Amino acid sequence: MLNFLLKRLLLMIPTLIGVTIIVFLIIQLVPGNPVDALVPPESSQEVKDQLIESLGLDQPLYVQYLKWMGDLLQGDLGRSIIKTSSVNTLLFDAFKNSLVLALFSAAFAFIGSLILGVIAAYKPKSIFASIGNMIAIFGISIPNFWGGLILMGIFSVTLNWLPSIGMYSVGGDGGFLDLIKHMILPGIACGMVTLGVMTRMIRSNVYDLLNEEFVLTLKAKGAKSSTILLHVLKNATPGILAIAGLQFSQLLGGSILVETVFSWPGLGQLIYQAISQRDYPIIQSGILLVAVFFVLLNILVDLLHAAIDPRVQKG
Amino acid sequence: MSSSAVEVSDKETVNLANVTPAAATAEESFARKAFRSFCGNKFALVSAIILLTIILSTILAGVISPYSPLEGHAKDRLLPIGSPGHILGTDEQGRDMLTRMLYGGRMTLLAGFVPVIVAACLGGGLGIIAGYFGGRIGTLIMRVLDIFYAFPAVILSIAISAALGQGLLNIMISIAIVFTPPVARVMETAVKRIRNQEFIEAAKSSGAGPFAIMRRHVLPNVFSDLFVFSTSQISLGIVIAAGLSFLGLGVAPPTPEWGVMLNSIKQLIFVDPMLTIVPGLGLFLTALTINICADGIRDALQVK
Repeated sequence: MLNFLLKRLLLMIPTLIGVTIIVFLIIQLVPGNPVDALVPPESSQEVKDQLIESLGLDQPLYVQYLKWMGDLLQGDLGRSIIKTSSVNTLLFDAFKNSLVLALFSAAFAFIGSLILGVIAAYKPKSIFASIGNMIAIFGISIPNFWGGLILMGIFSVTLNWLPSIGMYSVGGDGGFLDLIKHMILPGIACGMVTLGVMTRMIRSNVYDLLNEEFVLTLKAKGAKSSTILLHVLKNATPGILAIAGLQFSQLLGGSILVETVFSWPGLGQLIYQAISQRDYPIIQSGILLVAVFFVLLNILVDLLHAAIDPRVQKG
Repeated sequence: MSSSAVEVSDKETVNLANVTPAAATAEESFARKAFRSFCGNKFALVSAIILLTIILSTILAGVISPYSPLEGHAKDRLLPIGSPGHILGTDEQGRDMLTRMLYGGRMTLLAGFVPVIVAACLGGGLGIIAGYFGGRIGTLIMRVLDIFYAFPAVILSIAISAALGQGLLNIMISIAIVFTPPVARVMETAVKRIRNQEFIEAAKSSGAGPFAIMRRHVLPNVFSDLFVFSTSQISLGIVIAAGLSFLGLGVAPPTPEWGVMLNSIKQLIFVDPMLTIVPGLGLFLTALTINICADGIRDALQVK
């Protein structure tokens, strides 16, 4: 297991280097002089030249990259152009909030899809299966930001059951219950796609497994249906886990749109503001953070996979 | 495309198949069989018809609607759905909602379809080259593309779009970049599967060059994989395109686009929660019918 972990960690290094190169190059796509985006339009050429020199923008591209990497490795993500604070503080606070929402949303989607998917696989002709299939295809088709607006329209504006914006009530106690109340609508909106994708995946996985010989053997032995389900689920876990890891990061990425709808103080909201203010260091560090998180998450998924299925370690 | 083929009625196809059973080549009869199987799937057929209607009516927007998509009357602001003369009501500037939906659909559909086609060509090409040659070239191509997997699709397209700046072309470029690596991976796997089969060996030994083999022998054999995967990307492309516009990265308002319309209306949700239904429903219905059609195409092409 330790060898496996070391191998995965070593393989991670070229991926991470590649990720930083892509993130660095994306910002080079900005048309025109990068300084134009940094200073007010009426600034003189002198000011611009000074800034170019102080930021090292007159250096060759690879020197700029190495300097940026050097700062990164020391944990310095740079400074926000608009907000005068360092990117680190802004980013990690926002990321934490996004993660809270994504975890809640993932819990909703994973539990929901497990129930819907298993039912649909067990009783493919029943009405539950049809409803499950419908929820699945609706889930993958619904744009999450529109889903959020509709939920907000129904449950906040019309029925006034749940709060529509923010993470905590203004002047509230900031308690856990308050947080949950604020999370329900954006959580469901974010999780719909994942719910749809996972339900379809679990349904076809479980359906295939139910037709395998070991299930027939279990049935012949007179095993209870709950025992059979346990066996089937254990066999389905590696596949589900692999997709779940992938889906979680997609969910985190997709939450940007939902966060802007619900004014959730997360990474999405931060990046959204940064886009309109052309605050590139924030955008750059934001996607870098998500990508690095995703790479680490993948390793975690691989480790779990290896723990469940020892064949993986050898392969 | 499936949607244009749907116009031919089911009965006609059957007749055609009966008339020339022996003359049809193997490929034709497979396509025909797949088409018949697709038409036998009622869900897929109905979806294809709805989708075709949506596409046609956005193309014919100027013919269908008497209103301008850009100019409205201040006195007709925010008319509800079902108002006389404005079936879907009007928006916050008094512009006819149906008209803006029709014109807006052009942008959204274009921004969803074009990147998928670009990614299919680019990713398909890279995947076939990687899969056919294998070895160092294959590893190099696939490892570079693998790095893109570290980014969630939405966030990567947002970052690229934000860097390139506002505009329809820019969101199409960003979505095409995001969609290319997955296509390449699917194609590489498909090509590896057939690479060592005898007909490829035969072509090699008869002196055909690698690119001729890829074009004549590899591509036709993996084309259905490419087609199935690409159709499944279309709805995601449309949703991402609308999402980017929703964030203000796509077309600039006043030009109608479904994402832009949702964004400008979102502020008014506290005035009338019903307002967001129309633009979103167009988007949802399009994505839904495309997904059902894509499922139908996948099932139909599995018929061998």
